[in-house]
Amino acid sequence: MNQVMKFILKLLFRLLLILLGFFVVTFTVYLFNLDMKLTAAIEPWLLKHYDRIERDAHL
Amino acid sequence: MAKEIGKDRLGDFYKDGGKVRKRREWRGVEDTLYDYSRWLVIMATLGKFMMKPRNVKAFFRYRWMANYLAVPMMVDRHTQGLRGEYLRICHTEQDLVIDDVAKLLDNLFRGDRRTGNDTEFSKKVVLVDENEMTAVMMGFPTLKCLSRETPSTYVSVLLNQHAAEHYIDVAQEFGLAGDVCPMPEAEAGVSIDDDAPILGACAIQCNTTCDGSLLGNGVISRRLEGEDGIPVFQLAAPLRHREDDVQEYAAQEIRNAIAFIEKHTGEKWDWKEYFECAKRVNYATKCRQEWLEMNRTPYPQVFGSNLALYTETNYMAICGRLAAFEKADRKITRLAHQAYEKKKRAAKEYRHRAIIWGVQSHYYMDFLVWLLNCWGIVPLTDMLSMVSTRELAETDTPENRETAIYDMAWLTENMIMRNRTHGGYKVLLDELWEFTQQFNADMVILWEHMSCKALTGMHGMFEDRARELGIHLVWVSHDLFDPRIISRQGVRDQINNYMRTVMREEPIDPSLEVLHDEESW
Repeated sequence: MNQVMKFILKLLFRLLLILLGFFVVTFTVYLFNLDMKLTAAIEPWLLKHYDRIERDAHL
Repeated sequence: MAKEIGKDRLGDFYKDGGKVRKRREWRGVEDTLYDYSRWLVIMATLGKFMMKPRNVKAFFRYRWMANYLAVPMMVDRHTQGLRGEYLRICHTEQDLVIDDVAKLLDNLFRGDRRTGNDTEFSKKVVLVDENEMTAVMMGFPTLKCLSRETPSTYVSVLLNQHAAEHYIDVAQEFGLAGDVCPMPEAEAGVSIDDDAPILGACAIQCNTTCDGSLLGNGVISRRLEGEDGIPVFQLAAPLRHREDDVQEYAAQEIRNAIAFIEKHTGEKWDWKEYFECAKRVNYATKCRQEWLEMNRTPYPQVFGSNLALYTETNYMAICGRLAAFEKADRKITRLAHQAYEKKKRAAKEYRHRAIIWGVQSHYYMDFLVWLLNCWGIVPLTDMLSMVSTRELAETDTPENRETAIYDMAWLTENMIMRNRTHGGYKVLLDELWEFTQQFNADMVILWEHMSCKALTGMHGMFEDRARELGIHLVWVSHDLFDPRIISRQGVRDQINNYMRTVMREEPIDPSLEVLHDEESW
């Protein structure tokens, strides 16, 4: 029984650590707007990519 | 870093010449955690969307998809300075709209011949304009009513102020006039640039608001019908929509549109479904009227962007077809009543009560939040939110089926914007002054969309009447989709100049007076 309890507690502790890690990482990204800073850096590359696509542009 | 409303200098979040802001707001523990949780939901929505290979393919095929990188920032712009119920109302609306647009994109790419190419699905798709009431789709529950223009141009400009510039330039390179409204011009530009998804059993275009939209529709339908083999119906709703003698013609247009959809999709109009949608439209109208009623008091609750953006989506694009919006209406109304009972305010100081009139700038949709935070001007309501309040017939009887045709015609005629920019002197000019009295407003902010011929002709009449009534009338020129003509700071300067020189006031938050956000999304 003790073994099972230990295992469950260990599992819960690991889950808690994972959740805490997830919170710390995502909250840092959120607060410092890192998601938008990253996508802002990506945008110029994307625009160059779109310029290279062949299109049947006409009226 | 403050919990209290108005403690932060909101302009300090901007980085000169930057595309994005330095960091997000700290709104106190509870509100920050709430905002963070909603951010997670938005990221999950975007992540789920990108899990599908066809959506990834579309992301790298269509230029306008790059604007969707800025979705979280759009939400941040509209939640600036908000706390408590106001923050929750904003998220309830914005998150639902984001989810709805993600589903719209997913469906577009599912049927798109270039990406998903699901031909069976495509046969159940009816394309509609961005600027069109979707009332004629209320009785077709098995069909998908999709707009290509909504995600490619309309939403794109809300996300990124520069989104339409490429398409405006393309349209003009091909000889289209440079002085038409940049909205239909950009929509035409997407089609010319071969950048619109190709799908659908048929399409319904509407003579929405102006000569520009007719021009755009002409270009788009030529490609749809002539090259893609998608038949297009032109739903020509009368412009003089308040006149009784046009209603029979308008009703016949609805009958014809329904018959056209039935013919090309093989589906039959479902009256039971129609009346269910009509009930939801009536509920949305009832909620909107409650919000407007509160806005007539010293404690307005659902106003500014929270009123404008949501009404545009719910009234025109949804039109009772989705139950999720009814649930959102209920939640927003509950939050509004909660804040009203506690006599809460969204900003630290309310100095002026304003009606926002005219066609608002899409590249600066969060201007309404700025007005409140910078100068304490409360945008009580706006022209595009003052739409039809007619109660639709909602019980299925033989008489009501006939009434319903007229109801759909009325909604189509009273589409957002066209119900004020067309329909005569009374709807644009006279009713504005009635609203200023009803809302006890001391100020009118009048958007002057410089490419919109419908409004510019009445410039002098607005000024005469404002002078007679002693209302402060502030003109704000803009070019709807094109910030190269008048920048966001150019828009702000017009208010700043009026407030300093005429009103002799100092801003509540001086950090917002001048922002170098020309490069920003």
